[in-house]
Amino acid sequence: MLLAVNSSYQPSDYLPILIQFGLAVAFVAFAMIVSHLVGPKRHSTVKDASFECGIESVGNARTPISVKYFLTAILFVLFDVEVIFMYPWAVNFRQLGTAGFVEMIIFMTLLMAGFGYVIKKGILRWNEAVPSQTFAAKPVLEKQPAIAAQAA
Amino acid sequence: MADPTKEESTAAQETAAAQDPTAQQNAQVLALLHSLFGEATFTDVHEPYGLLTVTTKREHIHRIVAGLQQDETLKFHFLTTMCGINYPENLNQELGMIYHLHSLVHNIRVRIKIFFPLADPVVPTLTDLYAAANWMEREAYDFYGIIFTGHPNLRRILNVEDMDYHPMRKQYPVEDGTREDKTDLFFGR
Amino acid sequence: MDTRVPEIKSVAAPEGIEGAGFFATSLEKVVGIARANSLWPLPFATSCCGIEFMATMGAHYDISRFGSERPSFSPRQADLLMVMGTIAKKMAPIVKQVYEQMAEPRWVLAMGACACSGGIFDSYSVLQGIDRIIPVDVYIPGCPPRPEQVLDGLMRVQDLAKNESIRRRNSPEYQALLASYNIK
Repeated sequence: MLLAVNSSYQPSDYLPILIQFGLAVAFVAFAMIVSHLVGPKRHSTVKDASFECGIESVGNARTPISVKYFLTAILFVLFDVEVIFMYPWAVNFRQLGTAGFVEMIIFMTLLMAGFGYVIKKGILRWNEAVPSQTFAAKPVLEKQPAIAAQAA
Repeated sequence: MADPTKEESTAAQETAAAQDPTAQQNAQVLALLHSLFGEATFTDVHEPYGLLTVTTKREHIHRIVAGLQQDETLKFHFLTTMCGINYPENLNQELGMIYHLHSLVHNIRVRIKIFFPLADPVVPTLTDLYAAANWMEREAYDFYGIIFTGHPNLRRILNVEDMDYHPMRKQYPVEDGTREDKTDLFFGR
Repeated sequence: MDTRVPEIKSVAAPEGIEGAGFFATSLEKVVGIARANSLWPLPFATSCCGIEFMATMGAHYDISRFGSERPSFSPRQADLLMVMGTIAKKMAPIVKQVYEQMAEPRWVLAMGACACSGGIFDSYSVLQGIDRIIPVDVYIPGCPPRPEQVLDGLMRVQDLAKNESIRRRNSPEYQALLASYNIK
């Protein structure tokens, strides 16, 4: 049985929620502002420098990192959303009938086609270089026999 | 009557020493050194606690260590340590370097000492023979001021970079110089 | 059988106005109590005193009873720099950098003879006491001091934190103290 809406609630009955929200925000703002004003602070070049266990920090922290991390994360998000869509379908499976089932199969086929593309492209291969990114790999491989010959 | 028994005991000791495997190995190493470099290059040969110790000159040291390392039978492939030393009372031989080589295959150790004057603390480097010599020579430079010709990176390794003296030389006191509360009386000076 | 109930000593409340369901006291006292009972240490452990500190952190002696629940190795989140062990002259600028990067309010505890005065290592390579480079609040002598002594030192730092005025860190005396160590 669906929930019965009590139509005698006035908009002004929701005022306590607003007051509670306002008090929470006010408390947070008060704590932050007062501690900012009352607390001691100190600024100097050494203090504001990046912490590197007491030694001088070298270089920028924003170095480029491998794209495989991003790809794994984004593919996870996509297929996780797909699974989330399957939950309400699972709940209302009987009411949706055959038509709903066919629609869902089409939905999943489209996503699985994308998954097949991912596998064929080798994006999820973690250890070797991704085939689409081997534009720099070839020259390095050609150099390696020369280095090995030098060391021998 | 005492003499014959003494002669017998020393003869027994000699045969025992000749049969001692360490002494035999040391004799073998010494024979190799003499054959390769001549007997005159090694002075003061003795075996304290079974460790063959020879003294030589810094002109020969690189050849000697290379010869020991590249010898196929003995295979002294391990430079255990090398350290500096300062005997201020030996005029013209105040500073010294002592090298310990070890053959892991045969378990033979040998110690080679060289001495040179304080006014001319220059020694050829062994970094082309042993990679371990790199840091050990930097330590000898840091503490004794011994300059190694041909060293790729001769700078202080353990002390502060801007230290201006070589602390392990006997002319400098070990104690920190900036303390005001301790006088020489405490150190018996 | 001894039926006496042991008298449980609880911490005395600070001076203030009490009433039904409320307690009013000065902000300084509240801030002091809060700071004193939550000193998060930065264990700068170099030598044997560090091992003693590890024992103090263990369950038997337990510094988290005193509020030092979270030792942090980042100076940004630590209140108390505990220097425990021999500091070589090569290490001195690093200790100073770590101290300078701590956020105010900060306290320094020198544990052990080497941190207090160089200890038995009166030599060319050992810094003769960390108070040559940073201002120290509490010294714990010993080689190494026992955990009970470490806890006593921690309690002295708690006393300092509890009774410190709120404006001390902005006061000219404190600025002069830091300037004497060349710390901005």
